[in-house]
Amino acid sequence: MSELSVQHLLGIKYINEKDIQLIFETADHFKEVINRSIKKVPSLRDITIANIFFENSTRTRLSFELAEKRLSADVINFSAGQSSVKKGETLIDTVNNILSMKVDMVVMRHPNPGAGIFLSKHVKAAIVNAGDGAHEHPTQALLDSFSIREKLGDVAGKKIVIVGDILHSRVALSNIFALRLQGAQVKVCGPKTLIPKHIESLGVEVETNLRKALNWCDVANMLRIQNERLDISYFPTTREYTQQFGVNKAFLDSLDKEIVIMHPGPINRGVEITSDVADSKQSIILNQVENGVAIRMAVIYLLASKIK
Amino acid sequence: MNILLKSAKIINAQNSELHLKKRDILIKNGIIDTIATKIEAPKGVKTVALKNLHVSLGWFDSSVSFGEPGFEERETISNGLHTAALSGFTDVVLNPNTHPLADSSSDIVFLKNASLDFASNLYPLGCMTMGAEGKDLAELYDMRNAGAVGFYDFKSPITNSNLLKIALQYVQNFDGLLYSQPLDVNIAGKAEVHEGITSTKLGLKGIPAMAEELQIVRDLFILEYTGGKLHIPTISTANAVKLIADAKKKGLDVSCSVAIHNLYFTDELLEEFDSSYKVYPPLRTKKDTKALIKALNDGLIDFVTTDHIPLNVELKAVEFDNATHGAIGLESAFGLLHQIYDLEKCIELLTQGRERYHIKENKFVEGNKASLTLFDPDLEYVFDKEKIRSTSKNSMVLGQTLKGKVYGIYNNNQLVLET
Repeated sequence: MSELSVQHLLGIKYINEKDIQLIFETADHFKEVINRSIKKVPSLRDITIANIFFENSTRTRLSFELAEKRLSADVINFSAGQSSVKKGETLIDTVNNILSMKVDMVVMRHPNPGAGIFLSKHVKAAIVNAGDGAHEHPTQALLDSFSIREKLGDVAGKKIVIVGDILHSRVALSNIFALRLQGAQVKVCGPKTLIPKHIESLGVEVETNLRKALNWCDVANMLRIQNERLDISYFPTTREYTQQFGVNKAFLDSLDKEIVIMHPGPINRGVEITSDVADSKQSIILNQVENGVAIRMAVIYLLASKIK
Repeated sequence: MNILLKSAKIINAQNSELHLKKRDILIKNGIIDTIATKIEAPKGVKTVALKNLHVSLGWFDSSVSFGEPGFEERETISNGLHTAALSGFTDVVLNPNTHPLADSSSDIVFLKNASLDFASNLYPLGCMTMGAEGKDLAELYDMRNAGAVGFYDFKSPITNSNLLKIALQYVQNFDGLLYSQPLDVNIAGKAEVHEGITSTKLGLKGIPAMAEELQIVRDLFILEYTGGKLHIPTISTANAVKLIADAKKKGLDVSCSVAIHNLYFTDELLEEFDSSYKVYPPLRTKKDTKALIKALNDGLIDFVTTDHIPLNVELKAVEFDNATHGAIGLESAFGLLHQIYDLEKCIELLTQGRERYHIKENKFVEGNKASLTLFDPDLEYVFDKEKIRSTSKNSMVLGQTLKGKVYGIYNNNQLVLET
């Protein structure tokens, strides 16, 4: 049986194209499972998973928890607000304390880039990165590509534009790695202040004119402004940002072709996209959410199968 | 202590008669008594015969941090100076990186008193401003009289241009040496690594090379206006070299240094978020290391330093963002530098810089103070954590094979040898 090339999912950077295809094929199966009347399989009855969230999350956390429960794993949840982290405990100590209760896998979200990699070197458990600062959010990128594949048949050769706050976005970075690995063409679009100076070294192009970018692409992935990570003002007002980089229905309809609209959530309606765009037939935002569960089931299942 | 060094190959380009010659060296009461092809050990003189023994004048490091007072868990003055001796350094300049900070003459007196009676000499720097807050000048003249060899708000850039102007004017009365950390804090923001391909891949905000260069340009403009002596510690970019070289051509009294790790390591090493490589200024690119190596070779950079910063494991074994900047460097200095330069250049680099601090330079001739470093330049060994003498083990050289091992020093009438 095929297996992943890695023990942990720390980022798309650390996996290969074969891994992505394996995850997709496994997710195809689980997507079928979660649409049955009995949505659960007994695969991971002997596995205990801790969801450790040092940053707020609703969608990702629920999605992971649901994925774990549908695989029949035992699940414990833990967030920094209720923990000894506030009392000064280190990350390694916190996680090792949890692991001493015989936990096999840790799903972690953390505000610091590289926190998952750091943890994987110091504790004995499979680590799934559920977002580490502005570094990576690999399961989001996988579910985004999976959704493009579902909608357009393939990712290879497709033209994807990622719009918004690229500088602070782990979703953008993981998507760039994943899409490039699968042979898609990628552009990023946003105010220059929110685009890393060296982004082109990752094999993407920069387009600061939204209309040009959207007329070029097959899919637009609209990101929100990461207000919680902005240390200074990168643009004068949200209003002015929306004037240049927001998409409303009239704008969408005026494009040369019908493009697919994606959004990793949470949406700031009226800022990066208006409600009628989010809810339009061109939007696959809710499909992304559904696919998130199937992708996370696949990732957890495949990593669990590597635990001896 | 009286010793006889047997069959020591002398590396000292200033003395062409002895340079690269193998000699026996008799040292009595701290003074080089006799240098000859063969000397029989007089009674009561300890003979030191070491494999492939080479000897040079004692080495100098312009940027070393210990921890005492306040951070003894990082390093004490006693063990720090012992480590310096075993690393070949007879003279080290100590950064004000303690708690409380050295910002008054009594702090300088404490450091001087605590460092008496060791084989290696310690020369403290005092803070430029009270509490290194960048607001009010500390009592620089008083500290100078107590033994401070320069003034530095350790690793804190001077954001107020007028403060630098006034400080540069003020210290001229007593020939004081001021430090200015080259970083524009507004451009750097919260970034902690070099801005480039690696920082982009890792989602880390980067410090553009420009942040260093802008500050240097400002400093040089101010220096041209005020006159005075300015030292720019640990530069890290190719353009910084050019800016300072141009200023020297104009006749400005400016010096600069470079950390050995900035000559050898590049930012690609950060790919695994290993905090061992988190230093400030940050590791930069191959282009920068090449330019720095050349500039040091050509004499455009005044001296090389270990920028030795011991940090206890609790400050390093944490998430990358939360880790403290710094790495120890004394013990790997020679082995690492020798990967870059040939032996003669290494020794030239390791022995220069004292003049800038008015620290006495010795001569390798009979009748002079014996201030010597003993080493084997050909011995290859793995730089192993277990063998580190420093209290803190935060080295970025762990596991690396180095060529060139230090035996120890003879200085201040004391012999300190690796046992």
